[in-house]
Amino acid sequence: MAENFPTLGQCALVAGAFKVLLFPAYKSTDFEVHRNWLAITNSLPLSRWYYDTTSEWTLDYPPFFAYFEWGLSQAAKLVEPAMVRVFNLEYDSWRTIYFQRWTVILSELVLLYALYEFVAASQLSTKRANHAAALSILLSPGLLIIDHIHFQYNGCMYGFLILSLVWARSKSTLLWSGLAFAALLCMKHIYLYLAPAYFVFLLRAYCLHPKSVMRIQFMNCIKLGGGIVAIFAAAFGPFAYLGQIPQLLSRLFPFSRGLGHAYWAPNVWALYSFADRVLIYVAPRLKLPVNLDAVNSVTRGLVGDTAFAVLPEITPNTCFALTLFFQALSLLKLFNQPTWDTFIGAVTLCGYASFLFGWHVHEKAILLVIIPFTLIALKDRRYLGAFRPLAVAGHVSLFPLLFTPAEFPIKTVYTIFWLILFLMVFDRLAPASPKARFFLLDRFSTLYIAISIPLIMYCSLGHRVVFGKAYEFLPLMFTSSYCAIGVVGSWVGFMVVYFAS
Amino acid sequence: MAGPSPHKPRNRAKKPAGASQLRTSITDNTLSPSETVIKTPLFPLASLLWPARGSTSQWNVLPFILMAVGLFRWAAGLWGYSGHQKPPMFGDYEAQRHWMEITTKLPISQWYFHDLEWWGLDYPPLTAYHSWLCGRIGALVNPDWFALYTSRGLEDPTLKIFMRATAMVSEYLIYIPATVIFVRRFSRACGASTWSASLALVAILMQPATILIDHVHFQYNTVMLGFVIATLSNILAGRYMWSAVFFVAALGFKQMALYYAFAIFSFLLGICISPRLNPSRFIGIALVTIAAFAILVLPIVLGTLYDVRRGIGPHPGIDGPPPSLPLFPQLAHYLDPEASYYPVIEQLLQMVHRIFPFARGLFEDKVANFWCALNVVIKLRKYPSDLLQKAALVFTLASIIPPNLILLLRPRKQLLPAALAATAWGFFLFSYQVHEKSVLLPLMPMTLMLTGKRGLSRDSDFRAWVGFANLLGAWTMFPLLQRVDLGVPYAVITLLWAYLLGLPPTSLSAYFPDGQSPWLKWGTAVLHGVFYAAMAAWHVVEAFIMPPADKPDLWVVVNVGIGCAGFVLCYLWCLWQLVVQSDLLPVAGQGKGKVADLRKTK
Repeated sequence: MAENFPTLGQCALVAGAFKVLLFPAYKSTDFEVHRNWLAITNSLPLSRWYYDTTSEWTLDYPPFFAYFEWGLSQAAKLVEPAMVRVFNLEYDSWRTIYFQRWTVILSELVLLYALYEFVAASQLSTKRANHAAALSILLSPGLLIIDHIHFQYNGCMYGFLILSLVWARSKSTLLWSGLAFAALLCMKHIYLYLAPAYFVFLLRAYCLHPKSVMRIQFMNCIKLGGGIVAIFAAAFGPFAYLGQIPQLLSRLFPFSRGLGHAYWAPNVWALYSFADRVLIYVAPRLKLPVNLDAVNSVTRGLVGDTAFAVLPEITPNTCFALTLFFQALSLLKLFNQPTWDTFIGAVTLCGYASFLFGWHVHEKAILLVIIPFTLIALKDRRYLGAFRPLAVAGHVSLFPLLFTPAEFPIKTVYTIFWLILFLMVFDRLAPASPKARFFLLDRFSTLYIAISIPLIMYCSLGHRVVFGKAYEFLPLMFTSSYCAIGVVGSWVGFMVVYFAS
Repeated sequence: MAGPSPHKPRNRAKKPAGASQLRTSITDNTLSPSETVIKTPLFPLASLLWPARGSTSQWNVLPFILMAVGLFRWAAGLWGYSGHQKPPMFGDYEAQRHWMEITTKLPISQWYFHDLEWWGLDYPPLTAYHSWLCGRIGALVNPDWFALYTSRGLEDPTLKIFMRATAMVSEYLIYIPATVIFVRRFSRACGASTWSASLALVAILMQPATILIDHVHFQYNTVMLGFVIATLSNILAGRYMWSAVFFVAALGFKQMALYYAFAIFSFLLGICISPRLNPSRFIGIALVTIAAFAILVLPIVLGTLYDVRRGIGPHPGIDGPPPSLPLFPQLAHYLDPEASYYPVIEQLLQMVHRIFPFARGLFEDKVANFWCALNVVIKLRKYPSDLLQKAALVFTLASIIPPNLILLLRPRKQLLPAALAATAWGFFLFSYQVHEKSVLLPLMPMTLMLTGKRGLSRDSDFRAWVGFANLLGAWTMFPLLQRVDLGVPYAVITLLWAYLLGLPPTSLSAYFPDGQSPWLKWGTAVLHGVFYAAMAAWHVVEAFIMPPADKPDLWVVVNVGIGCAGFVLCYLWCLWQLVVQSDLLPVAGQGKGKVADLRKTK
């Protein structure tokens, strides 16, 4: 059987070389966050992990991630003992940088393995397409920007997610899929957003009989339930024993935060806020009341406490209800049709719903949508049509994460390289759809993609030339509104495809 | 820029006259039969471009290549530069920045005279004009970067980004278009496929030594190299006068281009005398060359005259009688210091004096050339410098006459890369005042040899030899890079290139090509193997063992010795290739896929 070239390994090596070259690049506070976690887990007893406040970057990931950091810190101690001292804030010697950056690159091997499994498990007819999809995830500009410049460990965790999704494909590994996902939840709780799809899918495909909803497969239920309980016990058991669960949960779910993050993630609320801004000028003519506090708030969009001037305030409950509602829509179909393709579609839609309507959504969470979607984007041309604006909007929306001039060429050129290459390749590989396409949507997406280039130029250069330092929120607002349109558009497109197929 | 190169229809007419000499008719620009049979890529670079194999046009792949090589350059540039945090003198980076300072802040007549102790301008005028342009643009961003005196040794991180950007833009305006056009023309002339030409292009643009010196250590060598490649492209296109103009530009940017001058001269002279005497072509080229030189120095001449009228002299700080003339003080007896031409003469003499520092020693620092290696055995310093200069001249001539004689007698375009490489190796190994960075000059044409029909094919040892030269060249620059803690980018860029081309230490796929005699196969493999083992061992020793106290430079000297021996081999190989390809020897050249001279590509 002919292998596809270039292989995943070859691309990983070349990309790895590039990532090593990026060692001296800008790194966000997340670098210090993770260094602090190395220090906490290494030099404090387990009972202090979720209580320590020496640094403002307290440990707020679930226990498996803390264990992971503990494991890393054993090596870190040998490389540079100063790195793992709790009081050594903002410590970033060259050795520390080398060590932490290397751990990101090496932990990404999980992703490489998962993608290898994904391609290996696919049928011969879709192998080429899946190989291309796997390469696109491996070389994703999102992971490059977030993990290798900004600094986080998403590559590793999305590796586990993909592994779990791949295992969901065959009956024999379905149990492992559920357990892997449970373990992933204990590493980073953001994946809770995807949990409803897992719940419904495992319930229908594993716990209930394929022929009838009424027949419960008890043995499977015990295996799955027992496994999940064991995993959660391994993660949270020690803390439950110490009676620290409430403290742990308060760290994991800080409800005091605002609707938007530091800058608006490209979701429905960004559009809502944009509409509100516009309405400030229109409202007097429409004789609508305007909340003057919000109008004068200079920092709007930059700190959590947003107040809307014209439109009604949004509460966490509204967000929660909307998210659940749109997730439930996709889950109904999944329950009726528990195939792997529908499952991936439902995972993607759960990601979409929580990203678009969630409370305090971070722009990095767009990977929750893009990465599962990539696995089925090449199913046929209608899927690809919905994927395209998402790929553009999702990655462009990450640009404000890197604001230093030295990284500007890297993030833009790399993303453009990736977008042109993979959208071109996908276009060639995606088979025609058995059903009619929505031409309007295609036109929309072409136009949409074309707009991105002048937008990036304006936001990165034009704005400063025209306005200088004034109106700094404007480029951010344009970026997030533009990206929000793309994400919402691709969501609507994908909903149609999902329910029509 | 170089050559118009309008996009021609893809499958244009095949080889013109002389094509009958070709063995088969596989001159189509798509894949040749032997390539389509191959089911798996030979080395990782081929694998990365594997999906583009069927495409008939270079333009599908080109944008990706340009973006990818740009990304690697920029990422490498995030690391430090020469002289970073190394007061009091800093390094090449400061030199380039300082030239931007003096060219934008001082009258033109003082450029070559200003405070020579602090990185005085010692490059030809085109570099000065380039510095002026960059300085002008940079001053728009931040005038402090190039403020006179106060900006010396400035380490503003934004300035670093600006300087990196100037190197990048200069390269993308000159070196890269020139290389793209050259690769396109040369591969067509040799009948290589579009796809393998793309592979060669990536291999050339990812050359470790060039990236490390220009984008990490910091210099603008690629501008000069780009002009030389543009010279070659124009020769391929049959535009000989344009080629002369570009070569003058290369010389005008960096005097180091003289390494190539003999080869270019031999070729241009060769096509004026064979196949038939062509005096009008000769006169045309000569006049264009002279005119190009005149235009090159014209701004300096006019600027000097203008400054004289404004009452500005080249020595603002000095009272009393003007200093004696540089270079030839005895000329003063024949010249009138009050004459209107005198400042111009003084200016031009000073320029030449700055560009060619005859007063310096045979070699500077530790460089992997013959003299420095010989110095280990015989202490050369005890010999009079006159004798050494003559020895250097004799050795250099002896090494460059054979390749240039071949080129003069057989002025074929396909021979140019090998001839340029052999000549430049000769200069690098034996000439006077060589710098370790000069190894970029022989490496450039030698790497261009990958473009030809046999460049990356399964049945030739080109990849092994070109790879060997490049890796050895990068290796000899390690001490230079290590001084400013650039070990990581050195390792990454060098190993990446070795990996992409399937070279040691990552793979042996470049060795044992099909259809070579076993003696030659094993000979090459063992020879290179010894060198690669020595390089690897050297790195281990250098990293973990301190040199003896009385010989602190021991590791560097060992590096120089190994490097020199390897470079001599490279010189001999280039010369051998030249002999083989030129068909001067009746036996060796037979059936070696030689291609008839391409008179015109139009």
